[in-house]
Amino acid sequence: MNDRGLVQGAGGLAAFLLLWEAVVRSGSATFDYLPAPSAILAALGRLAAGGAFWGEIGHTLLATLLGWAIAVLIGVVAGLALGLSPWLRRYSLASIEALRPLPGVAFAPVGLLAFGFSLQMELAVIVLPTLWPVLVNTMGGISALSPRLGEVARSFRLGRFEATMKVYAPAAAASVLVGLRLSMSLAVVMAVIAEMVGNPQGLGYAVVREQQALRPAEMFGYVFVIGLIGILMNWALMAFARRALPGEFGRPLAMDAGVR
Amino acid sequence: MSAVFDLAAVALRLPVGGGVREILSDVHLSLAEGEVYTIVGASGSGKTSLLRVMGGLTRASAGSIRFRGVPIDAPPAGVAFVFQDYAGALLQWRTVARNVALGVERSLAKPERGLRVAEALRLVGLEAHAGDFPWQLSGGMQQRVQLARALAIRPSVLLMDEPFAALDAMTKAGLQDELLRLRDQTGASIVFITHDIEEAVYLGDRVAVLKGPPGTIAHTFTIDLPRTREQIATRESPAFLRLRHQVHDAIRGRA
Repeated sequence: MNDRGLVQGAGGLAAFLLLWEAVVRSGSATFDYLPAPSAILAALGRLAAGGAFWGEIGHTLLATLLGWAIAVLIGVVAGLALGLSPWLRRYSLASIEALRPLPGVAFAPVGLLAFGFSLQMELAVIVLPTLWPVLVNTMGGISALSPRLGEVARSFRLGRFEATMKVYAPAAAASVLVGLRLSMSLAVVMAVIAEMVGNPQGLGYAVVREQQALRPAEMFGYVFVIGLIGILMNWALMAFARRALPGEFGRPLAMDAGVR
Repeated sequence: MSAVFDLAAVALRLPVGGGVREILSDVHLSLAEGEVYTIVGASGSGKTSLLRVMGGLTRASAGSIRFRGVPIDAPPAGVAFVFQDYAGALLQWRTVARNVALGVERSLAKPERGLRVAEALRLVGLEAHAGDFPWQLSGGMQQRVQLARALAIRPSVLLMDEPFAALDAMTKAGLQDELLRLRDQTGASIVFITHDIEEAVYLGDRVAVLKGPPGTIAHTFTIDLPRTREQIATRESPAFLRLRHQVHDAIRGRA
């Protein structure tokens, strides 16, 4: 997004918040528990002044990043192996396609039974579904490389290792990055869900707690914080990718294909 | 003059489905030092397969392929490919300069490598674009990047597979003249595949007509045009028109 787009996007958001504020204040909406944005902001101020708030953010952030990191590690390694070996692909693709559509949320009670109210339970619930985007995109990125690149590597007499490091891996990097982004936003969602239904900690639990305590302004405050975490993590990942893969950016249709 | 490439009775058979398809059969070819050898033929006649066999990307089923007298079974040093699909052949995540460096990164130390890359970029007139990425350049410029990458290894032979087929007529004409100038500057021999008869005659010292499948060299024409070619004058000369006619007839099978 360019600067102009950023300004326009912020303008749209501001207009939406103003409209929301006006609707609530004028009393034209009849929801009992819909606070105005100004009330949510005030609640956030009160939360930030207290001690528990930052610990809750820290917990959810830790669970998300840890779960995502485990999923990335497993996904990239397995994806590379599957992408490079047609033999392995033949034997495992059916299992992957059978497991992949299972909704990750459904594993939350299973994780709860297996690990109790703990971080491990949360990690299990995060890792299982976030694994797939990384694995599938890494595998696809490697196995879909054009044979032409292999011919270029051979005709310039690159060794096998040199060709992998200089040609195959970087060629698949953009596709791996798509998987990383998809699984990162999924990891935030799964962490919050795990905290809502299972481990009573972090932001997900806080949302439920504030809802049950009939404090809608605080509840919305937590929801916004969760949204903000998702945006910031995606932004950090893209900033990292921009440094690591300078050639991929600005190229039209290369990065955003298949994302979102 | 000793031959750079020597092919004798080369055949290529590839398994297709249940059977075996004959791609090339009884190809004899000898490439002289500094020669531009163009190969024309209809699509499916085995042109690309022949080039791949010469470059060691595909192993011949029979016959002998010698590069400077040595039989080859893998891409030999000093032979560089230029492919038709520049977008697929260039490393899109590398800058122009780092693309050009690909073939010399292991063999040359950094300062020398920088000089070599600069020299190759100068040869194709892309000095100003060293820091650009391929996707920021036009098709003709990307193809010149690929050419520079090949030239950076100081090849004695360039194997070019319809390199200008995807380009517009004006860009194509410009690159044809550039290629002939590069041949004069570097002394490299060139094997140039095309399906464009005019291009084959314009560039070639010799034109081979490949017929197939299975592909075999049906005719070879020596192009006795003046060594310096010129887009308008050469193409309008009676000798050019006569040769074009002859090659055309040979492809149609009326020679």
